[in-house]
Amino acid sequence: MQATTVSTNNAEELAKRGNYDFVVLGAGPNGLGIAAYLSKWGFSVCVLEARPEIGGGAENAEPMPGFSIDPHATYLYGAAAPAFEQLELGKYGFRMAYTKNLAGAISPDGGVFAAGFYNPESLEPSSLSSLMGTSMAEIYVEIQKGMRAHARDLLRAVYYTPPYDEKWGVPGDDLPAVKVLQQTSPVFDPALTRDSSVLDITEAIGLPDPLKAITLFGSWYNGPHPFWKGMSIPGMACNLLYTYSSGSPVGGMHTLAHSLARCAVANGAKIFVNSPVTEIIVQDGRAVGVRVDDTSVLEEKTVKANLAVISALHVRQTFLDLVGAGHLAPDFLERIKALNLRGGSLFVLHIITTELPRYKGAEDAFAGDKYPSCTVINASTDILMEEMRDVYSFKTHPTDPDHFIVPICTHDTYDSTRSPSGYYVLSPIYVQCPVPEEHRDGPDAVNDAKEEITETILRLLEQYAPNMTRDKIVATYVNTPRDSEFRNMAFVGGNWYGLRESQDEWWSKRPLPELARYRTPIEGLYLCNHTSHPGGLCLIAVPYNLMHILIEDLEPVAATTPGWWYPSPWHITDAEEGTR
Amino acid sequence: MRQPPQSAITLSPEERPLEEYPYDSEVDVAVIGAGPNGLIAALYLASAGLQVALVEKRYEIGGGLATEEVLFPGYYANTHATYHYMIDYMPVLEDFDLSRHGLRFFKPSLQTVSYIGNDEVHLYRTLEDTRDFLARTSLSLADSFARTSMSYRRMVDEIVGPATYLPPMPPLDMIDRMGTTPTGNELLAVSEASPHEVLDGANLGDPLTATLLYMACQWGISPRETGMGFMVPLLVDRGMQKAICYGGSHRMASALSREFLRNGGIILDNAEVDSIEIGDNGASGISMVDGRNIRARRAVVSSLDPVTTMLHLLPDGSVPDEMVSALGEWKWDKWSLLTVFFALKAGEGKDTSYGNDEPFATILGFDSSDDVIDVLESLEGGEIAKIAGHLSMESELDPCLKPRNGERVGFFQMPAPYGYPWEERSSSILQQVLNLLEVRIPGIHEDLLAVKMETPVDVERRLASMVRGSIKHGDYNPLQMGYLRPHIDCSNTRTPIEGLYLCGASVYPGGMIIGGPGYLCARAVINDLGMEFPFPVTRKMEAYANTYLDGDIQW
Repeated sequence: MQATTVSTNNAEELAKRGNYDFVVLGAGPNGLGIAAYLSKWGFSVCVLEARPEIGGGAENAEPMPGFSIDPHATYLYGAAAPAFEQLELGKYGFRMAYTKNLAGAISPDGGVFAAGFYNPESLEPSSLSSLMGTSMAEIYVEIQKGMRAHARDLLRAVYYTPPYDEKWGVPGDDLPAVKVLQQTSPVFDPALTRDSSVLDITEAIGLPDPLKAITLFGSWYNGPHPFWKGMSIPGMACNLLYTYSSGSPVGGMHTLAHSLARCAVANGAKIFVNSPVTEIIVQDGRAVGVRVDDTSVLEEKTVKANLAVISALHVRQTFLDLVGAGHLAPDFLERIKALNLRGGSLFVLHIITTELPRYKGAEDAFAGDKYPSCTVINASTDILMEEMRDVYSFKTHPTDPDHFIVPICTHDTYDSTRSPSGYYVLSPIYVQCPVPEEHRDGPDAVNDAKEEITETILRLLEQYAPNMTRDKIVATYVNTPRDSEFRNMAFVGGNWYGLRESQDEWWSKRPLPELARYRTPIEGLYLCNHTSHPGGLCLIAVPYNLMHILIEDLEPVAATTPGWWYPSPWHITDAEEGTR
Repeated sequence: MRQPPQSAITLSPEERPLEEYPYDSEVDVAVIGAGPNGLIAALYLASAGLQVALVEKRYEIGGGLATEEVLFPGYYANTHATYHYMIDYMPVLEDFDLSRHGLRFFKPSLQTVSYIGNDEVHLYRTLEDTRDFLARTSLSLADSFARTSMSYRRMVDEIVGPATYLPPMPPLDMIDRMGTTPTGNELLAVSEASPHEVLDGANLGDPLTATLLYMACQWGISPRETGMGFMVPLLVDRGMQKAICYGGSHRMASALSREFLRNGGIILDNAEVDSIEIGDNGASGISMVDGRNIRARRAVVSSLDPVTTMLHLLPDGSVPDEMVSALGEWKWDKWSLLTVFFALKAGEGKDTSYGNDEPFATILGFDSSDDVIDVLESLEGGEIAKIAGHLSMESELDPCLKPRNGERVGFFQMPAPYGYPWEERSSSILQQVLNLLEVRIPGIHEDLLAVKMETPVDVERRLASMVRGSIKHGDYNPLQMGYLRPHIDCSNTRTPIEGLYLCGASVYPGGMIIGGPGYLCARAVINDLGMEFPFPVTRKMEAYANTYLDGDIQW
């Protein structure tokens, strides 16, 4: 990077003329995350957000006054993120609500499971033996303990390391996650683990339903398909992300967005909402700024980036809508167009009730403080298979109660800020749908079936929790995949992790091999979005990973990295790779 | 207080996977409530160099400065403050360059269209345009309007506007001072009358009188209450200077908060205060419901309603008995608001490239000024005599609120009683509202994409200080105004407890996003700490102080 940085003395003056070191597109957790990192480092940063509110997927809404729902992300998954320490998010108001009992599951035949990271009881083999027999329970507990003891290292290896360039040909056994597993897991052959699927793992341990079903489900709903070979590590790691954090920011995920935004603003970043970007300006092959829509509050509709433009938008929007064909090779454009959007299109239901569901057969398992925050009903592997078939054949809505499993989340069991006394918010309740663009009955098919699907879920809920009669239900709200896309344009197809997470769309290949290290064919344009490794889930991982790359590329503009920064121990720089 | 939920756990610092805001912290000033006044007070205090923590119970800051996805999924609307009428006077807008955080205001040219019976009244931002409109029917009416409106403008510009940001004066001093100038005497002349008497005496003809009477009284003033006439010039003049906050009213809160953060402020949302702590030297900090304690070395400032602050958050016995019993009699607002938010299918696009003829507000449903009085007085008895109020197509004025696909978002709002069988009658009221709107928005029933009605109960549920839906944290009546608001011993924001200050809408000069209490509170705190206030008064405040206070402002 040859441009010089804006010195802080005249940054304010230059900003008035639309001049910044970095321009960031999108104020979701990734855009805000990188803005916080760069502004804390001392650069001038401008964040442009199309919506009226920051947060992206880290959002809360209050469709009924006093009741906060989670239209998108619901649990903190990013507790392992270095950002909490590096950005000192606690200083900017970040607070967590932790729950003793996180997850519960009930299978159609009455099998019940309840567990929480901070509930030692749930890791007693005796509490599991009725489900899987004593010896299996002991093995399972051993694995869980190993994973938990090394959770942070494992998660940082999987998520908080920039992907290696595919061209380097780093052997599979040298991948960070495999190396950590080698150190930590007493049971598994890491190489075998690497090449297997989540399903293989659950079968190797001999997990019974409903535990097996929710393990598979925990992988699928968070990205990696549980039946695909080579995806067991990210698939199992998703489950670990969830349990390791064991809760949600106080008040919901929007609190995370607030703390990131406040860190950025306190360090001088400018964040403008209602400011959709219409073009990334490329001159001589280099991104030099962006143009914003006429409706933006900015006086200057051109915002200049002295060092780089960072796109926290979907990779398709970035290249197809904002850079444009004039600056890109035709084969590259075709491959962007061909990126697979399937998977992760969610129908999200929110219910306001006057009682918590009392699940039949789980009276003891869920008694008192053991009541889980998320209860998965219909938790059977067979039903999950049916659901996957439906979703990937693009034909049905989730209206056959024997064809889908339903997670019912509530945070009222451990966070008093979500609803007024005497009421409960069951939110979110997720059901996977076919991606709208490929739905056999047209893109609006799921929207048209909103009421029918809601009705099916309510009936299923009442079947599992007979107290959930209609008189207990105060209101319901829905966001379908199309609604999510309407609200938040980066959720293309309503897909909440951007692109499929398969072997071909993960790590060194996500979203395309030449984009995996967040650089693009346009100099000065970087990617910082859930379509890059390691996907969505509000992990603040993409910004951390991107920082490694920017630090390399910013030489000599930024001669030294700030004292609070530390890279991933697994990081390999391009320069190092060149000397190997 | 709510009990902590049963599955919640508190992890020891060693157990926590990540760092959080600490359980014990210490700042100079703790400010409770991040509505407009809390934000303004916090911002000034932080800019004076104090370390300030601002805590808010809701998940969003802003209080009445709320722009939310009330029509879920996808449509945003202003849920409380829909416009801003004091932007020409608020010191905070002069003292800080909030435009750098994207804050912009815009005053629609056509401010209000009012349908009274078969008559139609247009009120414009410029008095001349309104005068021209009225002259079409009657020259003498136009002249009366010009005389009245220019007199109101003088009273607001010389006195009421700047005085909003200066400490309250005892009533007798006030009369004394006002008597020294012609404009002051004009104001005194209207002060003792009722709003109806004031307007009735202006010879404006009934449709215009009805329109202005609704504008003067809609937010909770009894049309026939004597001693409230001084509010008429303010609400009528400013009612024709309504400004829209571009992108929604929440942007103002957002801009204030960003400036606050840049001055080193700390914001905690989803943070409910359990109690205000009292130490040897008065207020010493706050305890939160989640177990966190924030020690405040210099002051605690509360923008909550006075009953919550003085009677619920403080330890028993710390507030003088007389004040306890006086605040026990605190009168909440006479009525609250009913709002119907709606989103409509894309209509035929208006050409707004050369000005926009969309009125900010369209008053609907009234037949005469007597009708306005009857309707408002019915609310005081807990009844709704008829469906009448004002309509605003927000997305036609603020393109930021306009969905990308050309759909439209608007609201209808009317004064409404808190004590009303809402659950029973909501659906019938909603139908009546839609029927009323059908006249102005033909086809609304067919074009409706989403509709949502919020009652006074919802107002209270969203913003807890609006007890019984009190948008002003307490009634506007002669005994709860000025020097007496909320009590003679704390109307200048200081309380009998050392180090504890009030700054909400319940304190002089009141609510409606005027920002007076927040500014005055910051002035008082900084003054009491012997510090220098970092900004001079505005020119208009200075002129007022020179004329009416001999240049001597007692902060």
